[in-house]
Amino acid sequence: MPKPMDKMKRIMIADDDPAILDAVGIILEFEGYEVRSTLNGAHLLKMETDFPDLLLLDIWMSGADGRDICKQLKQQPATSKIPIVMISASKDIERSAIEAGADDFLEKPFDIDALLEKIERHMRKAG
Amino acid sequence: MVKKVPEGGYKDIFNCCPATILVMDIDAPYYTILDVNEAYLNATNSTRSELMGKPVFGAFPANPTDEVSRNIERTIFSFEQAIQTKKPHTMANYRYDIPIRGTDEFEERWWTTTNTPILDEKGEVIYFIHSPENVTELYKLGEREKAGVEALKNQRKQLYSTFMQAPVGIAIFKGPEYRVELINTPLCELYGQTVEEMSGKPVFEVLTHAKGLGFEELLDDVRLTGRAFKGQGLPAPMFRNGKVETVYLDFVYEPYKEDDGTISGVIVIATEVSEQVHAKQLLQEAEERARLAVDAVGLGTFDLNLLTGEMITSRQFANIFGFDEPVPSDEYIKVFHPDDLKLRARAHNEAPASGAMFYEARVIWPDKSTRWVKVEGKVYYDAGGKAVRILGTLLDITEQKKAKEALAESEQLLRNITSAAPASLWMSDDEGLITYINQTWVDWTGRPFEDHMGIKWVDSIIEEDREKAAEKFKKDTLNRDPYEAEFRIDHIDGTKHWCVATGRPQLRTDGTFLGYIGACVDITEQKHMQQQKDDFIGIASHELKTPVTSIKAYTQVLERMLLKKGEAREAAMIGKMDAQLNRLTNLIGDLLDVTKINSGKLQFNDQDFDFNLHLDELLEDLQRTTTKHIIIKKFSPTGIVYGDKERIGQVVTNLITNAIKYSPNADKIIVCTALENDEATLCVQDYGIGIPKANLDRVFEQFYRVSGEMQHTFPGLGLGLYISSEIIKREGGRIWVNSEQGKGSTFCFALPLKNVNNN
Repeated sequence: MPKPMDKMKRIMIADDDPAILDAVGIILEFEGYEVRSTLNGAHLLKMETDFPDLLLLDIWMSGADGRDICKQLKQQPATSKIPIVMISASKDIERSAIEAGADDFLEKPFDIDALLEKIERHMRKAG
Repeated sequence: MVKKVPEGGYKDIFNCCPATILVMDIDAPYYTILDVNEAYLNATNSTRSELMGKPVFGAFPANPTDEVSRNIERTIFSFEQAIQTKKPHTMANYRYDIPIRGTDEFEERWWTTTNTPILDEKGEVIYFIHSPENVTELYKLGEREKAGVEALKNQRKQLYSTFMQAPVGIAIFKGPEYRVELINTPLCELYGQTVEEMSGKPVFEVLTHAKGLGFEELLDDVRLTGRAFKGQGLPAPMFRNGKVETVYLDFVYEPYKEDDGTISGVIVIATEVSEQVHAKQLLQEAEERARLAVDAVGLGTFDLNLLTGEMITSRQFANIFGFDEPVPSDEYIKVFHPDDLKLRARAHNEAPASGAMFYEARVIWPDKSTRWVKVEGKVYYDAGGKAVRILGTLLDITEQKKAKEALAESEQLLRNITSAAPASLWMSDDEGLITYINQTWVDWTGRPFEDHMGIKWVDSIIEEDREKAAEKFKKDTLNRDPYEAEFRIDHIDGTKHWCVATGRPQLRTDGTFLGYIGACVDITEQKHMQQQKDDFIGIASHELKTPVTSIKAYTQVLERMLLKKGEAREAAMIGKMDAQLNRLTNLIGDLLDVTKINSGKLQFNDQDFDFNLHLDELLEDLQRTTTKHIIIKKFSPTGIVYGDKERIGQVVTNLITNAIKYSPNADKIIVCTALENDEATLCVQDYGIGIPKANLDRVFEQFYRVSGEMQHTFPGLGLGLYISSEIIKREGGRIWVNSEQGKGSTFCFALPLKNVNNN
């Protein structure tokens, strides 16, 4: 659990399903994170400032492949340090996600506890 | 006429008497001739002067033979006898040749002479009369007779000897009782008796078994009428080898005539012809059989004389040509189908050179129907090599022809059908060589028929699939197993087509393997559909997961909120909802897994892991899902297993959730692990409803579910065990089950410890 006194950690969620964005957003806010979200993965590449502390990235999004985005973000010096947890309904993609540079992988549907555990772990790692 | 012989008349009598008389003195040794009559002179070619007053042996000197010398002795003896006994003495039949006067030759003469003494008053011999009678003719006649009798005797002896040694049996039976007067050895042997046993006995007393069979009557007839009887190949019972056998005889009964012509018996001449009769019978039987055989198959026969053109035909031959009775060859030629006459003529022309004749032609019957005949013949040649005769057979093959045509039609039909079939059809021999493919396969591959014979068919398979399909076919052929394989071929349309080939082993009636008859179906469309289906399920599952994911997220956040608010009852309900969502998630996961298995896309991330340790974690989680059952661990060390930890975990979860699900009335589940033969094994034992024996093999099949009355009481898609078994198989392991209905089941799997298979 993040300490309430800390500066709110910011999490960016990218998924083409608004319901996921909404539900996960509620959870994470409920857990004390500052949440931003986007339906369009391509927007992530346009970020120049105000980077999130962690990125939850869906793999199959309309018009974009999360792995491509992941790869690019990891190649850009400004974003390369942002922990990325990729989410997909297909567990078979896990390996390719890791290959694309993702720090972790979560299969849909997931347990909140599992999600939170991964988020905390990677944030702690990133410092 | 004189009343008495005149004086001196006796002198005339003396001289005229036809008997020869020589009167001699008794002055031995001279025996001087005192007188001689004319008859004597004539008989001895002598003159009176040559003899008168001469000693008798001077007048008749001894002949130059001993015989004659002895005759002189005998003569002197006779003289002396007559003189001494004073009684006439006769010398019978002695030879005394007389000289032929004027020559040194002698003439043979035989004599019977009487010397008669003449006595005086005192009874003393004073002289004696020597009176020889010329018996030469008589003697010679007697000699001739004697020689004749001797010759006859010799002849008889010879005849008897011939008779006895003759190679045929001969006997003479005498009198009405046919007493054996004579019998030779061959006949005795024929009768099975010895000469001693037969000789002198009535024949039917010895040959009792021949009594009353009519032989007596035959003999009687010959004896009483004098007419001979000839029997040929007649059966007669004979005692042979200790039993009565029927033998066959050629025999003659001839009347036996005495010298005076009366018939006193019967001459029997007999030879055994059993062998000949048997041979003849066999020949007849063989002929009969051949005839029956010829008749039975409806063969007509013919014998064509090539020199005269004459042809002898059997009745059957005529019948086949539509005639009631055999007709001359011209008539047969007339009923040939006009179109076949040339063919017939050619066969006849070529036969003498080839030695055989064969042709099939049509003949037209009186009712205008057309019949097919088959003519076969063999040519016979004379010593000079000239063809003289053709012997042969004729067969009505109309039905065969019809059948053949029907067969050809049905073959054509079959070809049409197979060509029309959407599947390609094929046949192979017992060595796995292709012997037939239909037009469909030719059309698919665009390669001609011959290019698929033998082992060449595999060339149509794309290189990637070729070896596997060929090997499978080789192996199945060897084991006579049903063949099934899927492969892709290079289709004439330029694309690759999926095919499934199946073959059923063909066995002869004796069970030996003939090869395969099989089909090959283009499953490209199905494959495509399958792909579409798999894709659809994949996408559908994925799409289903998305709302489930958000629902689950909402549910969980709601649960937390309610808990925070202290509304435990509502939170518990939401917790149950979450559990149902997990079930839904699992179902979707199963569907996805099955589609992946079917399309071969199930992925494995193999790694080394501690089997027991992994199980510990799993079982801990699983224990939480049930309050009713206690999971009892009975672990033995298993070591490190190489495999997909999560997939294997999926199997364990499946087995334990099944155990829980199907043992609603039990309270424990036992999980054992062990290490056996380099395999880590796990068994999950429950005390539930068990599985009927008949279904044990089927539980790992796709869509298998508990059947019967309890079907609806246990939920599920019937995919769990199928997925589990596929996972274990892919990991190189084994999965099995032991179960007893009503008592429970034990599901086990075994995994190799050092698996280098990186599926």
